[in-house]
Amino acid sequence: MDELILSLCCGLPRQRSCQLFPQLCAHSRFVASECSLWREEGSGKELNQMATGNPGHPNFPGKPAASPFAAAPPSATSPFVSSGPVASRPPPNSAPANTMPFSSSAPLAGSQALTFRPAVPTALSDPSAPPPGPAPLHVPPTSNHLQRFSAPQFLGPVQTPNIRTSPIGPPNMALPVQPNMAPPMQRPGVPVSTPPLTFRPPPQTPGGPMASPSQTFTPAPLATTPPYFAQQPGYGPPPSQPGMPVMQQPLSAPPTSAMQNLIEDFSSLSMGTVPGSMDPGLDSKALPRPLEGDVEPSAFTEAYPMNCNPKYFRLTTSGIPNSQSLASRWHLPLGAVVCPLAKAPEGEEVPVVNFGSAGIVRCRRCRTYINPYVTFTDGGRKWRCNMCALLNDVPGDYFAHLDATGRRIDTDQRPELKNGSVEFVAPTEYMVRPPMPPLYFFLIDVSVSAVRSGMLEVVAQTIKSCLDDLPGFPRTQIGFITFDSTIHFYNMKSTLTQPQMMVVSDVDDIFVPLPDDLLVNLSESRTVVESFLDSLPSMFQDTMNVESAFGPALKAAFMVMSQLGGKLLIFQNSLPSIGVGRLRLRGDDPRVYGTDKEHSLRVAEDPFYKQMAADFTKYQIGVNVYAFSDKYTDIASLGTHNSKLVYLYIYGSQTTDPVTSEAITSEILLVVLFVDRNLTADLRTLSKYTGGQVYYYPGFQSTTQKDKLRHELARDLTRETAWEAVMRIRCGKGVRFSSYHGNFMLRSTDLLALPAVDCDKAFAMQLSLEETLLTTQTVYFQVALLYTASCGERRIRVHTAAAPVVSDLGEMYRQADTGAIVSLLGRLAIEKTLSSKLEDARNYLQMRIVRSLREYRNLYAVQHRLAGRMIYPESLKYLPLYGLALCKSVPLRGGYADVLLDERCAAGSTMMTLPVKSLLKLLYPSLIRADEFLLKASFDLKDVERRLPLTAESLDPRGLYVFDDGFRFVIWSGRMLSPDIARSLNIASDVSEVKLSESDSDMSRRLTRLLDRLRESDPAYYQLCHLVRQGEQPEKGTIFLQTLLRIKQGGFVSVFILNKMASTLERRN
Amino acid sequence: MHWDLVLWLIAILSNIGLLVILIYQIICLSDLEADYMNPYESSENINAMVIPEFLLQGAFCALFLFSGHWIMFLFTLPVAVYHARLFMKGEHLVDVTEIFRTLSLEKKYRLIKLAIYLVFFFLVIVRYLLFLFWLVIAIYNSLADEDEAVTGIWLL
Repeated sequence: MDELILSLCCGLPRQRSCQLFPQLCAHSRFVASECSLWREEGSGKELNQMATGNPGHPNFPGKPAASPFAAAPPSATSPFVSSGPVASRPPPNSAPANTMPFSSSAPLAGSQALTFRPAVPTALSDPSAPPPGPAPLHVPPTSNHLQRFSAPQFLGPVQTPNIRTSPIGPPNMALPVQPNMAPPMQRPGVPVSTPPLTFRPPPQTPGGPMASPSQTFTPAPLATTPPYFAQQPGYGPPPSQPGMPVMQQPLSAPPTSAMQNLIEDFSSLSMGTVPGSMDPGLDSKALPRPLEGDVEPSAFTEAYPMNCNPKYFRLTTSGIPNSQSLASRWHLPLGAVVCPLAKAPEGEEVPVVNFGSAGIVRCRRCRTYINPYVTFTDGGRKWRCNMCALLNDVPGDYFAHLDATGRRIDTDQRPELKNGSVEFVAPTEYMVRPPMPPLYFFLIDVSVSAVRSGMLEVVAQTIKSCLDDLPGFPRTQIGFITFDSTIHFYNMKSTLTQPQMMVVSDVDDIFVPLPDDLLVNLSESRTVVESFLDSLPSMFQDTMNVESAFGPALKAAFMVMSQLGGKLLIFQNSLPSIGVGRLRLRGDDPRVYGTDKEHSLRVAEDPFYKQMAADFTKYQIGVNVYAFSDKYTDIASLGTHNSKLVYLYIYGSQTTDPVTSEAITSEILLVVLFVDRNLTADLRTLSKYTGGQVYYYPGFQSTTQKDKLRHELARDLTRETAWEAVMRIRCGKGVRFSSYHGNFMLRSTDLLALPAVDCDKAFAMQLSLEETLLTTQTVYFQVALLYTASCGERRIRVHTAAAPVVSDLGEMYRQADTGAIVSLLGRLAIEKTLSSKLEDARNYLQMRIVRSLREYRNLYAVQHRLAGRMIYPESLKYLPLYGLALCKSVPLRGGYADVLLDERCAAGSTMMTLPVKSLLKLLYPSLIRADEFLLKASFDLKDVERRLPLTAESLDPRGLYVFDDGFRFVIWSGRMLSPDIARSLNIASDVSEVKLSESDSDMSRRLTRLLDRLRESDPAYYQLCHLVRQGEQPEKGTIFLQTLLRIKQGGFVSVFILNKMASTLERRN
Repeated sequence: MHWDLVLWLIAILSNIGLLVILIYQIICLSDLEADYMNPYESSENINAMVIPEFLLQGAFCALFLFSGHWIMFLFTLPVAVYHARLFMKGEHLVDVTEIFRTLSLEKKYRLIKLAIYLVFFFLVIVRYLLFLFWLVIAIYNSLADEDEAVTGIWLL
């Protein structure tokens, strides 16, 4: 049932699902009614456009409109008594229901509310392909079926409250008096005998609702209101079963018995409802919102103080199940997210330990490194390994006496016995060759589009400015290859004054001229390198070469680098067109969507890249790809790229004039020419298997995106990097890591090869139980990363953590870590998009979340008789929200033409590497209000950084907001923004960031300061600013702004739909 | 008569060849699993053997076709068709980057194929022995005929 509803929300063919589940549709109609209710409100229209910034999408799903609930007075908090599961009720709504012309608009709005995808251009025309026809997602919602159900028919079982399962006693007689809205009332029949109690969420102010739900009610299993949908006389027709005849139509999906179950399920759910009471289900504000971002599990680290910091290692649940049957009931992934080189928390450094010639103390059998959890026995002469329980001898040099408690007397002086994270200096046994020097090799596209977009210039400048900061100063090596239809090598021998350029035009049989002088020591050849970088942009200034011999150039780079390994940075602007690895322009194909071949769009087409990636890893070469795409602004330039397919998106739509409420059919609003080349699908395999990452710059123009490229390239070049690394994770007996997810290549079953890894990379892995029953009380995990530091030292970074074994499913859920779960689930879903349909990946995600919540509910609902309520542990309260945000994220959302393929692949690749914190921020971006800070000098920066919930209600037309997802800023200015701010920030006149920073007023400086501070919090990526004004069409019509808007809308909508979704979930559960 | 003898000998030899190739591949996979071999070496060794195996199996199948052993041909045909399909789709080689993820699958696939080849081997051996048996019978009979001719006289 849950699944069905979820899939309903996710765009099952609506018509069919209506036939299948009339009651759900009645229910969805109810959801719709809420939506329409919001829309009809006076302020709704404004906010509606405000939130979207683009009123021109009529079938925009569920525009978040102003809610009358916003004005709801804070309800009195009810007393909560016990620590058992607590049931909550949403705050009452006091909006007048009788003002709502309900039945007329409901069906339509309902269909909108349930459309689970971002805005679609209404008129989507593609010259090369017919508009997407039969794909279910694209079928405009037909309201007929919904309309049918709005007929006030009523059937028995739903009507009669069943006392047996109802948690509430007799019907409350006071309710019919207030038929419109449920007032804050205490129900007399609350089962006092059972621990779960009814409570209301804390009163919420529009400023910061749900600021700290965890403080308000600590008891773990939370429950929110049972959805009393549509049983109210004054609120439209109740849910009925008019669909029974419809159901008798030949249906393939569920057999009739299942149907019967559904109905029973449904009616038993509505039994909780008191007739006449009005409760709109879950209020959007009652939903917990992760406003404090990522919260690392603290209870766990307190219980095991010697564990490493959760920044390095996070388990999806800190309670390891003791049996396979228990593990199978934990429907979420069981595993861990590891970020071995994460930036150490403030004030802490990972201590470096050097055992010298004695060698590192390790277990003889399982090779576990010595750690705080080992126990010393036999007067300190032996130590017992905590993983395999083998008794090892303590080496003579390492011996120390034990004190009375059996603790070594020198424990406090030994970081490895005190800290969960430690770094050992590895002796020569850990080297197969002398530690390599840090090596940076650049493979730069110099075809016409790279030069024209300004990419070449920015890259040359940035590399030059970073030369001083490259890690590993005297040993650092550097080299360059540029390519268009030929390959250019540069001899930068230190004895030369000018670099020598050598051109190899035979791309089919590539050879490397002067193999010794192409890679040079930076400190020796500094002047040559600098003069090369100075002259690079001008060398190719007048090039007209449109071809790209990328594959041969890649091979050449491999030949040059294979001696040493290192980091290869690829700057690729045009589609590889010559030699091996040439790609055909695939583009997006609407006919493939929904078929079994859909995933082939997202995976590499040419096995050449996979083979190259394997070779790169073998020779310790990490690849970072900087992919750029062009934007063609005129047809003429298309002519020169005659081989390239260009999509023509024409956005035409109906807009409603906000003043006259007249429908204006606008002409073509904007024409965007964009090349969707599907380049990143192939290129990302290069970075996937070499531990690298993909940076993607759609429509790159140096005028607007210079800062982003410059910052990210500089970060890539200067951050501390671990070279020629391998990582292995050991764990105690009985458990095993079964699969790994992220950017790396498996060298053996559990050894991750990472040619170049840095602090911005995280890896996820899944755990499986090998034995049917675990007998130990604690399971230990040890992450060991063997790498060469930039200084030339071979080191092993070891993180050790312990986790208790639990035999109780409830405990597992209580110990869950939402951040790690979301990270692992996201990776699993993204991997699924590479082998199946997007739709399947989303369903998979939802299934797992729904199943787990149902399992948890079954744990408690039976004993506490919480029929019809969703209950979830405190630790997982954000899971449904994040799960939906994942479904709406760039790699997973929509279908054809919702996201450019290039972008989808690049985002998928990025999300496979993101650490937990950044991922959560990307999924639930922060929204902060900035205008008060700009106006008042006394305002402290700290106060500004209060995150607002991502709902339309958070946006005040008088405000200026900054929306930050870690990758970009969207500055949203309200319609009624104070003219002072607007003038001084030049908001009224221009959209670009350039203007924003150039205007030299006090206010713009303050804004810059604010943005800089926000950027500091996440330095891995640079956030470009984009200005969006309330209710305006993006006049410039750049694809980037379009995408952004869509993202922005997506952001809001996702949360809006999330509310619906979560309430649906709760209803079902 | 004697051509058939040669045919069955060739069939037995090629079948043994198939079994050897397949067992070699399985050993490579097990070595990889036990970490005795790195994925590059392992996949290289396996991939070097894939095309010879396909060719040999194709020849094995064709042998029966051209010698008119329809039953045996029909037995071996599905495998040959399957190989051809794999080759057409370019999925016949193991992928070094993903080898650990597909390891159990690859192993299962090869074990199933091993079982099929063993069935072939059994069939071929049985046919060969039968053939030998009939050959012996026939020779005996022909000898017996001659004997009869001699002994008949003697009997008479």
